[in-house]
Amino acid sequence: MQDLSQAVPPKTLSEWHNPSSRTDVIRDLIHGVDRYNPSNLSFMEDYLASQVQDGSYDLLANLAILKLYQFNPQLSNPDVIINILLKSLSASVNGSDFNLSMSLLREPAAILHDIESDDARFMILIPFLTHLHDLIRNCRFAAFWSEFNGGSEGATILRAAYLPQHPHLIPTLRVRFATSIASSFSRISLIRVQRWLDLSESDINDWCASVSWGIEGSDAVIPKNGDNDVKAGVVRENVELSQLTKLIAAAAY
Amino acid sequence: MADPTAFYEPEDDELLSSLAVPAYGVSAHAFHDEFQHLQELEQHAYPPSVAQQEEEHLAALEAIPQDVKRFLILFHQAILENDLPSISNMYESGWTKLTTAHYANSEWPEAELISPLVQNDQVFLTLYRELYFRHVYARLQPTIDDRFQSYENICELFNYLLNSDGPVSLELPIQWIWDMLDEFVYQFQSFAQWRANPKQKTEEELELLAEAQQVWSCYSVLNVLYSLIQKSHIDDQLKAEKEGKSPEEVAELGGEYGSKPLYRHLGYFSLICLLRVHVLLGDPTLALQTVEHVELSNTAFITRITACHVMAYYHIGCAYMSLGRWPDAVKTFVQVLIFINRMKQYHTRSYQYGAITKQCERMYALLAICTTLSPGPSDESIMAIVKEHYGDQLSVLQRGGEEALATFKELYLGACPKYLTVNPPPYEDPSALEVYAQNPPVDPTQRHLDLFLSEAQAVSGVSTVRNLLKLYTSIDASKLAAFMSPDETDGEDRVLEQLMMLKAASRTYARGQGMGVLDGEKVVTNNLDFTIEGTMVHVEETTAHRRYAGFFVRNAEQAMRAFNTIRSSPLPSPSVRRPQSAVPLPNSAIPPKPSATTIANGVPASDGAWQQVTKRQVRIVG
Repeated sequence: MQDLSQAVPPKTLSEWHNPSSRTDVIRDLIHGVDRYNPSNLSFMEDYLASQVQDGSYDLLANLAILKLYQFNPQLSNPDVIINILLKSLSASVNGSDFNLSMSLLREPAAILHDIESDDARFMILIPFLTHLHDLIRNCRFAAFWSEFNGGSEGATILRAAYLPQHPHLIPTLRVRFATSIASSFSRISLIRVQRWLDLSESDINDWCASVSWGIEGSDAVIPKNGDNDVKAGVVRENVELSQLTKLIAAAAY
Repeated sequence: MADPTAFYEPEDDELLSSLAVPAYGVSAHAFHDEFQHLQELEQHAYPPSVAQQEEEHLAALEAIPQDVKRFLILFHQAILENDLPSISNMYESGWTKLTTAHYANSEWPEAELISPLVQNDQVFLTLYRELYFRHVYARLQPTIDDRFQSYENICELFNYLLNSDGPVSLELPIQWIWDMLDEFVYQFQSFAQWRANPKQKTEEELELLAEAQQVWSCYSVLNVLYSLIQKSHIDDQLKAEKEGKSPEEVAELGGEYGSKPLYRHLGYFSLICLLRVHVLLGDPTLALQTVEHVELSNTAFITRITACHVMAYYHIGCAYMSLGRWPDAVKTFVQVLIFINRMKQYHTRSYQYGAITKQCERMYALLAICTTLSPGPSDESIMAIVKEHYGDQLSVLQRGGEEALATFKELYLGACPKYLTVNPPPYEDPSALEVYAQNPPVDPTQRHLDLFLSEAQAVSGVSTVRNLLKLYTSIDASKLAAFMSPDETDGEDRVLEQLMMLKAASRTYARGQGMGVLDGEKVVTNNLDFTIEGTMVHVEETTAHRRYAGFFVRNAEQAMRAFNTIRSSPLPSPSVRRPQSAVPLPNSAIPPKPSATTIANGVPASDGAWQQVTKRQVRIVG
């Protein structure tokens, strides 16, 4: 389970490439040659399903699934691919997770060809998710929600077939967007937050409280986090003694 | 090799049995045996014709230039004796010289032809064929037979190395070991590219491709590399070395195979090759994970083979680019380029100089991309070269807009790795192949280009708003919107979105001191920063003080050089000086080293003075 009570970016990447939710079995698997063994596939897919269920996230394990599909195209499972893309879509606003997943995939028609399937939903969803990712990547949050909730074929399939299985998708997306907002804003109008996070007027107060944002009049007040309270600074040169060893050595003789 | 999934088998023996000569190879051998058998039969039936054949063979052997024959005999001798200096010398210079003299535009003699010269030593002939095919790939156009035979030969070689009873006693120079593995991956890459396009293939080629699916397949290549890595326990060895274990402890971890230099080096270079293969297959996180334990500092083993050093850093940099970690990519490229520039005088004569220069040129182009996407201080000397080579492109990139996107594309296509697809066209199914040829899938390089461009567009799109912000200390978003997109109704939202992207573009993760390759900590990469209060944007610019350390160090170094030059120049000739000196010094009184005081025409510049100057500078700097 990822921490959704704070809208600040993590300080390091250790949780990204080595999440605490990862078990030793999975760790050994993705660090060894066993990751190429197709008989581990169902085990890996179960791990993905548990991520979908409990809201945890392990990109490297999910990429290992796509790697197995890359080498064993006949084993590809369109549903699993969509789940992986949805997980990476909600992983971050500016991260490369979605593109890393995409770079292991071929075009949807080729994937379907190898499993002799004509899953029309898959053909529609891949470009739709790519489009959603573009909107997120460009911080176009209002546009994202109107696409996501819109009447297009992709949105309809997504909401009908996938959203019910992804209880954490929307809350996670909201916190990701809020993280972007919190890096830039120290204060922002509630109406805008509502629009960017797709929240109703009745929910907005509770939601703000859940990420410890304060409310003053019609504005949300975002706590200082190092990014939204920048001060002009002067960078002083800082020379370590170790950088001067050569010079000192030359001086010593 | 029949079972393509075999290489993850944990059992060592089983693991390696999968490395056995591929099915294609076996059948070829069977064919070969049959052929020999037939030949023997023929020998009995028609003795004259065999004699004639032998004569032809002898004549062909006779036709081989004398110096080549002598070279091969000595080469064989050196390899038998594991005489590394001689092998190195013949491998690096002898072979190249003879190639230029006799085989600039043709193949070296076939291995079968020269086998009498080397007592039919199969190991030597396998090594010889490895060089033979490498020459074909480098200088000539390889035919499909060359490609297949080269694969078969290299499999035989790895088979010999991995599946003999215990480690083999062969020793090879590290340069050769690297070149061999590098060539292995190169030929795989070249084959995959050639195979990816079913057009313009002859009937025979199509037939062979349909039959031999496993030849140069991704699985077989990964199989070889992983087997070499596992056999040598190189990961455990490198980990132990990083932990500061003694060489004996490390050797013990290496085991029967890994403690031998040949296997250790095979394992080590396999890691680098694997890094490259993973990047080519579009898996940068796995690529970086592969070199987790490899020491990458400027004094590490990796720097001993320049080509390997460059290859590794290029691919690590590319992997960081795919992760959007521009500062890490910049750091990686700069680090290796500085090294290469310093070493230039030593490797200009190397036979690989051309290839290395080309790879470096690519990194300069990628640096132009990365430094545009994440501007920040970088090594001045390297950036000067980037500006010299890509000055025009850089100014277009920094201007932004459509034109910049086209330039990103051009630079990226010229400098990115040649990405591969794992899955070959369906050669085994002619009708499917027809469909495939008419409607080919998107080229993998094109797919990676698209992913890169979407990222580049997002990051570079913020340059307009950044330039506007520079002019203000605080400004309302609605006013910015009026400048940027006066016609749009939701202009204010768009500006705020752009500002959030600008914020994101100036924050990234970078690998800190002592961190793993995938690790990173949050860093701020831009000096222009801001906070938005409601819709009011407050701009804060961080200014950097002038840097003095570099200036002082450079000048101190220059003074040092001048001083050394003076110190080492000979004394003015005694015939000029003697008349001036009142008391002629006896010979023994002349100090062995010319002292600075006597040289510098009366200006005291003793060692003591030099010390003082430097100390004062250090104080200022510190």
